[in-house]
Amino acid sequence: MPAPLSPITLEIIVLLLGIFLLLSESFSKSGDKSWMARFSIFALAVTFAWSFFTTGDAGVDLASSFYSADPSALFYKRIALLSTIFVLVMSLDYLPTLRQFIPGSTVGAGEGEFIALPVFTCAGLMFMASAVDLLLVFVSLELVTISFYILVAYMRRQSTSLEAGVKYLILGALSTGFLVYGITWIFGVTGETNLIRIAQVLPAQLAPGGRLAGSESGLLFGLCLFIAACGFKVAAAPFQFWVPDVYQGAPTPVTAFLSVGSKAAGFIVLMRVLEPFLSQASIAAKLLPILGILAAASLIYGNLAAMVQDNLKRLLAYSSIGHAGYLLLALACVAPTDSSFGHSGVTISFYLAGYMIMTLLSFTILIVVAKHSKGDDISHFNGLSKRSPFLAFAMLVAMMSLAGVPLTVGFYGKFLVFASAVQQQQFLLVGISLITVAAGFYYYLRVVGAMYWKDSSDEAPIRVSLLTKFSIALLVFGVVYLGIFPQPILNMLSSAW
Amino acid sequence: MSLTLNHYLFASGLLFSIGFAGVLLRRNILTIFMCLELMLNSANLSLVAFSRFNVGPEGLPNYNAQILVFFIITVAAAEVAVGLAIIVALFRARQTTHVEDISTLKF
Repeated sequence: MPAPLSPITLEIIVLLLGIFLLLSESFSKSGDKSWMARFSIFALAVTFAWSFFTTGDAGVDLASSFYSADPSALFYKRIALLSTIFVLVMSLDYLPTLRQFIPGSTVGAGEGEFIALPVFTCAGLMFMASAVDLLLVFVSLELVTISFYILVAYMRRQSTSLEAGVKYLILGALSTGFLVYGITWIFGVTGETNLIRIAQVLPAQLAPGGRLAGSESGLLFGLCLFIAACGFKVAAAPFQFWVPDVYQGAPTPVTAFLSVGSKAAGFIVLMRVLEPFLSQASIAAKLLPILGILAAASLIYGNLAAMVQDNLKRLLAYSSIGHAGYLLLALACVAPTDSSFGHSGVTISFYLAGYMIMTLLSFTILIVVAKHSKGDDISHFNGLSKRSPFLAFAMLVAMMSLAGVPLTVGFYGKFLVFASAVQQQQFLLVGISLITVAAGFYYYLRVVGAMYWKDSSDEAPIRVSLLTKFSIALLVFGVVYLGIFPQPILNMLSSAW
Repeated sequence: MSLTLNHYLFASGLLFSIGFAGVLLRRNILTIFMCLELMLNSANLSLVAFSRFNVGPEGLPNYNAQILVFFIITVAAAEVAVGLAIIVALFRARQTTHVEDISTLKF
C-alpha cells in the first residue's frame, strides 16, 4: 500500500498551477485565453478529487508547527477549491466584458492574469485553513488580500472598477494594520505565536499567580483589534462601509469570489485564533458580548439597507453583510465551557458551505443575464421567466435559499444558527434575527417578482453556454440536495469538530 | 535611566495612533497610504520589543516574532507595489489623488 499523501500536496499543486498559468500568459502567442480557464477548472477539479485521498499525518507536533492537516482544515480547503472552480466558470462568461475595459496592445493581452490570480487566492485560502501559527495566518491572509486588490481594480478603463479598487486597497490595508497590531499584542501578553502553544500555556497564565492574572486588558485589546480586522474581511457591521461600493464596482466574478472567499477566510481565521481564548471562561465572558453586538449590528444594517436597493450587485452586497450577521450569531453562541468549538464550529461550517453554493449560483446567473441585458439592476431581470425559464428557475432557487425557505440549504443553515442561539438563551439576538429574516424575504422576493410578474421590453431568449448550464444545474442540485439531506455533511463536520 | 518595554510600547502606540489618525483625517490617497505603512511599522517595533524583553526560561527570546517582522516588511513592500500601481492607474484615469473626487459609486 502506498504511503498516504499529505494534504500539503494540494497547496503545492495549486501554487504550481498558478505559476504555470503566469508563465503561459507571458509566452503564449495565442490571443484567446479561454483555454487557460478551462485548463485550470480541470486541474482544480482533479485537485478537489485528490483531496479525498489525502490523510493528515498524526505524528506531527502541532505546537512546534505552522501547518495543521486536521479534517476541518481539509473541509475548508474543499470549499476554497470548489468556489475557485465556479468563479473560473463565471470568468469564462465574463471575458468578453472584461476585454472592453483593459488596455492591451494585442488581442487577449492581460487576460491571463484574471485566470491566474484566483488560483493564487485559492492557494492562500487553503493555507489559511491549515494555519495554526499567527505567522502563517498573517502571510496567507495577505496573499488573499493582495490578490484581491489587483482583481477588484482589474478593469483599468472603467472608472468604477478603479474606484472600487482604491477603496478596497485603503480599507484592506487598514484592516491589515489592525490585524498586525492585534497579533503583536496577542504575542506580547502570551509570549507565543503558535495557537496550540497559546492554548497550552494560557490556563496557567490566567490562573492566580500567572503572568496574566488580574491584568487581561492587554490581551483583550489585542483580541479586539483582531476581531475588528476580521470584521473587515467578513463584512460585518460596523466595519462594512467598503462592501457595497466594492461589490458594485468590481468585475462580477471577483465580487462573487470576494463574498465567498473573503467571508470563509475571515471566519476560519476568527475561529482558529479565538478558539484557545474562548475556552477560558473569564475571557469568553468579555468577548462573546462583543461578538453578539457585531452580529446584531450586521443583521439589522445589512437586511434593512438591502430593502431599498435597485442594483442587484449592491443588494447582494447588503445581503452578504446580513449573512455575516447570522454567522457571527453562531460564533457568539459558543458555549463558554467548551474545550473546542463543537456545535458552533459545525453550524458555521455548514452555513458557510450553503452560503457558498447559493451565492455562487446567484452571481453565475447575474453574469449571464447582465451580459444579455447590458446591466445588473433588478429591472434587468424583468420577464426573465419568458426569456429563459431555466435561468429564472435557478435564480428562484437561489433567492429562496438566501431568504431561507424550507427544503433549501439556506433554511437548514439558519435553523442550525437559531437552534444554537436558543440553546444559549440569547433570546434578544433570536428576536432581532427573526425580524431580519422577514425583511430578507421582502427584498429577495422582489427579484423573484421581477422575473415572473413583470414584462420585459426585450423578449429575445438568452443563450447559455454548456459549461455554465452544467455548473448552474450542479449548484441548484447542491442547494436542494443539502436542504433535504443535510445529514451526510453534518456527520462529516461533527467528526471534524 | 534605561529603556524599558513600556518606552517601546509607548512609542509604538504613538506611531499607530498617528497612522490611524492620518488615515481618518488626511484627504490625499498617497498620504493615507503612507500612514497605513506607519501603522504596520509601529507593529514591527512593538513585536521586536515584546520579543526582546520577554526571554524564556532558557534565556532566549521567542524568535518567531522577530521572523514575523521580516514577513511584515516583505508583505508591506508587496502591498505598496500593488497599491501604488492602482493609485497611478486611478491618477491616469481621473487626474486626481483626492478622496473627495472618488465618488462615482454612491457611498
